[in-house]
Amino acid sequence: MGVTRRFGTITALDDLSFSVPSGRVVGFLGPNGAGKTTAMRAIFGLTDLDAGSVRWDGRPIGARERRRFGYMPEERGLYPSMLIAEELTYLGRLHGMSARDAAVATARWLERLEVADRAGDTVESLSHGNQQRVQLAAALVHDPEVLILDEPLAGLDPTGIDVIGEVLVDEARRGRCVLFSSHQLDQVEDLCESVTIIDRGRLVASGTVDDLTTAGARRLAVRVEGDRDGAWAAGLDGVTVSEIKGGEVRLVLGTATSDAVLDAARAAGRVTKFDFERRRLSEVFRESVGA
Amino acid sequence: MRPAWIVVALIVIVAIARLRRRRRAPARPPASRAPRDRRHPLGETGLVAGREIRERLRGRVFRVVTALLFLAIAAVIVIPTLRTTSAARATVGVVGGSSTLDDGLTALAHRVGLEVRLVDEPGLAAARAALRAGRIDVAVDGSRSVLLDKALAATDTSARAAFVREVSLSLGAQGAYARAGLTPSQVAVVAGAKPLAVVSLEPAKRPATASETTALLGVILNFIVLTQYLTWTLMGVMEEKASRVVEVLLATVRPLQLLSGKVLGIGSVAMAQAASLVVFALLLGRAVGSSFVHGTAPLVAAATLLWLVLGYAFYSWVYAAAGSLGERQDQVQSMALPLSLPLILGYIVSLVGVSSGNPSVLVKVLAYLPPTAPFAMPALVGFGEATWWQFALSVLTSAASTVVVAVYAARIYRRAVLRTGGRVRLSQLRRAPSAAS
Repeated sequence: MGVTRRFGTITALDDLSFSVPSGRVVGFLGPNGAGKTTAMRAIFGLTDLDAGSVRWDGRPIGARERRRFGYMPEERGLYPSMLIAEELTYLGRLHGMSARDAAVATARWLERLEVADRAGDTVESLSHGNQQRVQLAAALVHDPEVLILDEPLAGLDPTGIDVIGEVLVDEARRGRCVLFSSHQLDQVEDLCESVTIIDRGRLVASGTVDDLTTAGARRLAVRVEGDRDGAWAAGLDGVTVSEIKGGEVRLVLGTATSDAVLDAARAAGRVTKFDFERRRLSEVFRESVGA
Repeated sequence: MRPAWIVVALIVIVAIARLRRRRRAPARPPASRAPRDRRHPLGETGLVAGREIRERLRGRVFRVVTALLFLAIAAVIVIPTLRTTSAARATVGVVGGSSTLDDGLTALAHRVGLEVRLVDEPGLAAARAALRAGRIDVAVDGSRSVLLDKALAATDTSARAAFVREVSLSLGAQGAYARAGLTPSQVAVVAGAKPLAVVSLEPAKRPATASETTALLGVILNFIVLTQYLTWTLMGVMEEKASRVVEVLLATVRPLQLLSGKVLGIGSVAMAQAASLVVFALLLGRAVGSSFVHGTAPLVAAATLLWLVLGYAFYSWVYAAAGSLGERQDQVQSMALPLSLPLILGYIVSLVGVSSGNPSVLVKVLAYLPPTAPFAMPALVGFGEATWWQFALSVLTSAASTVVVAVYAARIYRRAVLRTGGRVRLSQLRRAPSAAS
């Protein structure tokens, strides 16, 4: 049985069930209001469930287990006027670390996230991007086995995305469970091995990025020299042309075979490109949520 | 066998029994990898309390307010003693003195509250020289004149000035009596005239005792400290909610632990501040010979501290719950005002009761109500109008009420602290599920 959470007449989570394997970065996708944040909060007991339970290693999650989880909420949360190093050490101690271990881990993560020079400053004195890095350090300081991050890449510049992305991938390589939500699908596609897509509180797609993007009808990208409008594809039967841009025709094979398409292109002129393409994750997402 | 050996033997027996029981117990399945737990000895609550203590002590407001309170206490204790000790000592040089003149001068000095030392001067020139040299404060030349180094200002109300005026008037009058031909015995009768007794229908107000004054200071101290620290509690909860850090904290810590840690931490700072002020007052009072350390005043001070703890324990939960209902820092004033009304009522009624020297029936009633007892009961103790069982009854009532208030406040906190998007109303929480358990 999946988890269900209702707010009055609204069902935020509707028998939602999915699993996050360790050792992988898993993207958690869904349109606004799909229930991503509610699902993440449910993992930490921050919202009561009307039905179902969240489990880890087959057991219900309690306070003891949660101390081994790291959480980065959507609305960033740190004491604005507390010194950064002290704040991270304090959070590490709340997760069961000794004062010394927490201080060492704090220094290590601030260094890794390239904000070590701000350790003695207050959070409120940092830029948005650096606050984001410190917030991630707060989720990582106690070396958690499960990382749950709500929109960790939102509002970051490319450098920040690279730094945080590397950390997430490295943590997954160390055998951690990493689940993060994002609306930046290109970044998700680059970082994640797997994605879970929900809509209206229900699971609509889940699997590895490869499986999801290669599933369904095959796609071709074909270019014929001199035909900038892709006129050669106009009369093709058994295909759906999805895009014509700069002379490059993207089409989805229906009843037609790839050989038939190649023949038609050759008949129109010299073929300079003929590639089988995967779906973009954004296309998978749109198809999944019916957008 | 000595008691210490008996205790050691019992500890060893219990330890062996526990070890054997653990060996017999079936092996539990190994839990999944868990970090070694090296938390605070008091657990998460202790960590939260520790952070509160550090942050409060570091704050500029705390330092300034504490410094001002210490200064105020020092002023209240030292200034009255300065006034009494500098009152009045003077060395009076007497030219051509006699035992009658000496007795008269001593009597006049006693009347104006001046302690005098009379020294004989061989002549007027010697008296002038002694005045200029500062060896004497006043010189009396028989019944002819009174000499000073500087003229008296009309506004000078010191005991020395009063003495000089009295001597001048008295010796002048005695000269006139002599010139009128009165015999020495007649002069003595006239000079010894006493004013008629002035009788009022209302009895004169007796001066406040040391314990009453201590009670007055205790009521004021409790009000200042409670107001300050309860507001901090409210602001602290509201800050955690407004900054959303509460979501990070509650992912690890239970709401009750977070709430208890905050209350405990801020309460510890409040208690430490108040206790240090009281200890400082008692030590300073002893050092300068103040009346504050005499009689039952230290007992009243102890009662004041106890009621500070009880008052904070009662109100802190209410203020913390109120903080969880707010959304923004600018709502602090509007949320604190209704909560502080019983606090202000208890303070004003008790203060008026102590100041009037006669605690009213209302003070005696308020001493048993938990919201007002932190002010009214120390006032009654100061006046010696609370027996030990009345005191104990009030303490028990307050402690029991605190438990009930804490349970409800924790429930409100749990349900409200993660609700965002505007100020939360109590009616919204009735059937709302808790944010965390």
